[in-house]
Amino acid sequence: MRKTDLSPRQLAWQAAGVFSAALLTLGLSILLYPFRSDLRIAVVALLYLLPVMLSAAWWGLTAGITGAITAFLAFNYFFIQPYYTFDVHHTGDWAVLAVFLSVAIIISELMGRARLNLQLAQAREAEAMRLFELSTLLARARDEQSVAQALAEKTIDTLLADRIEISIETSAEHIKFSRGMRFNRKPDVIVPLQAARGLIGEIRLWRNHPPLQAPETRILQTFAGQGVLAIERIRLANADQKAQVLEESDRLKSSLLSSVSHELRTPLSAIKASVSSLRSGEIDWNTEARTELLATVEEEIDHLNVLVGHLLDMSRIEAGVLKPQKKPNLLAEIVESALSHLRTQTQRHHVEVDVPDDLPLINVDFVQMEQVFTNLLTNSLKYSPPGSTIRIVARQQDPQTILVRLTNQSLPVPESDLERIFEKFYRINPSDQVTGSGLGLSITKGIIDAHGGKIWAENLPDGLAFNIILPLY
Amino acid sequence: MTHPIHILVIDDEPQILRALKTILAAKQFRVSTATRGEEGLALAAAEQPDLIILDMSLPDMDGIQVCRELRTWTMTPILILSVRDSEKDKVAALDAGADDYLTKPFGIEELLARIRVALRHKNQAMTGNKSSKIRAGKVEIDLTGFTVRRENTEVSLTATEFKLLAYLASHAGRVLTHQMILSNVWDPAEANKIEYLRVYIRQLRKKIEDDPQNPKILLTEPGIGYRFIADE
Repeated sequence: MRKTDLSPRQLAWQAAGVFSAALLTLGLSILLYPFRSDLRIAVVALLYLLPVMLSAAWWGLTAGITGAITAFLAFNYFFIQPYYTFDVHHTGDWAVLAVFLSVAIIISELMGRARLNLQLAQAREAEAMRLFELSTLLARARDEQSVAQALAEKTIDTLLADRIEISIETSAEHIKFSRGMRFNRKPDVIVPLQAARGLIGEIRLWRNHPPLQAPETRILQTFAGQGVLAIERIRLANADQKAQVLEESDRLKSSLLSSVSHELRTPLSAIKASVSSLRSGEIDWNTEARTELLATVEEEIDHLNVLVGHLLDMSRIEAGVLKPQKKPNLLAEIVESALSHLRTQTQRHHVEVDVPDDLPLINVDFVQMEQVFTNLLTNSLKYSPPGSTIRIVARQQDPQTILVRLTNQSLPVPESDLERIFEKFYRINPSDQVTGSGLGLSITKGIIDAHGGKIWAENLPDGLAFNIILPLY
Repeated sequence: MTHPIHILVIDDEPQILRALKTILAAKQFRVSTATRGEEGLALAAAEQPDLIILDMSLPDMDGIQVCRELRTWTMTPILILSVRDSEKDKVAALDAGADDYLTKPFGIEELLARIRVALRHKNQAMTGNKSSKIRAGKVEIDLTGFTVRRENTEVSLTATEFKLLAYLASHAGRVLTHQMILSNVWDPAEANKIEYLRVYIRQLRKKIEDDPQNPKILLTEPGIGYRFIADE
């Protein structure tokens, strides 16, 4: 470390070191003094190397040199004849003194350097540690606000600054994060946050006492660099996610369009055909044929209405606005209501209902839950052969939940697809000619989810079961 | 009836107006139409129709608002016809004073039946000639005698059960919201205790319906309330 780099704190530490080194040497002189006559010069010289070494090791090079010179003088003054003068009578003593001084200085030099290297290594380690901590924090950050926060907190801790402000510009907003007391003066350091595609913000730091040193500025730059990387990573991840969502919604839209246009056109064609033939004056329809055509029109219109309802429900679920109006309801009443609306469709199947009257009331949206049963029943009616049995059983499972099980005698679903049947437009066999919106089961799942319940399908030896767990409250 | 019954239809969709005009005229009703709320209110005041069919979404004001303003000066039955099918909208309309609520698309038989119910109520209210006996299938309810008979056998009901049945039956044909029923039969303070209502309806159905699982008299209006179906 160059002298010019020294802070007042370091200067004070050095002064204390110099003083202590001198004191240590003098202390040793006082300790050795009583044994002066018993000790040989060479032994005294060796003993004097001790404080020199210790001073250099503890307080650095300056203290070591001070120790060396003090020891040299004290050695000469107290232990080399004539005593109490700096004169030297024996030529041999000169040699001893000269060797002592050089050895002391070399030792100080070596010890001091070792100590300095150790300090540097420790400083680097600390720096690396801070950087590691920062990058760990940044890696965890999921948005730019938390990047700004992590960066600000680590920087202010590391540099012991008074205040820090971080501003990040995004396309939509201006993120600001600050730590520390507000000052009325301009920041002492401003570091730009420079990304590959331009300036994305800046760090403003207040610390004038002591001013920032070169290594600290370097740390600040490194931190800023890490921050920029983290922000760029988040922006890329967001962009990627958006792209994925767009792609997904594009895919969904096109499958929706193809499914919907088919599903809408079929009833519309039937209606158009029936009505236009009734209106054309060419044929004199008999009453039976008229009734038949008109029945077709009405049925197809109901079908269209269900389809539109499904599309609306699905968009509500996807927009997250399907909020159940929960009220205490009797499950039996809900199931009966669904069945009564499907009366004409259920005539070719046996529907058995075992939903006890005395089940506790469940806190659900009546209309949505009725829709659940309508969808599951419609699905079962479509996929199970005429004459087969559809059974709805409900039991209280524990004090908090009710288990509803709807079983039918349809063909099994491949095990791997048991979850996928709740996806939009999923068909076990894409080419099958079953009509429907392709949304029924996914709406059902959406409703059950919105009620905090759970639904899953399960293959049985002779059919399929839909299991629903509903919380009572 | 010497004068044809006069129906005012307030709806901004020309297709619906055209269809309703044709159908209702064929059924011997006199029909006036309005496409805006203000216009509808003015017509209602000027022509004093016997019944108003009202759409919920009008270009200048909300159907609920029209309903409230009408109710400040007339008890003419109001039948809501709307594409809005959430229970919230239905309850709001009924609470604003509408007599009934029908969602589009609707069957014409259904509409005519609701019109008949609404008109009958109007006549009963006007003449004060409310029959004290109400029949629904095999059930006969004597409001003044406090008795209910089913196939000529007296059905024993608790006081609350009778009060509930009498309230529903005296508004036969109309949708009554949970709140209306609870605050009339129980106490306005208990208007939230839907669970009471569910349990009592259940018990009543067991006593008066042929098949309580498939009720024909006490119908559930999902998410809204109940409707009592009396013989016409």
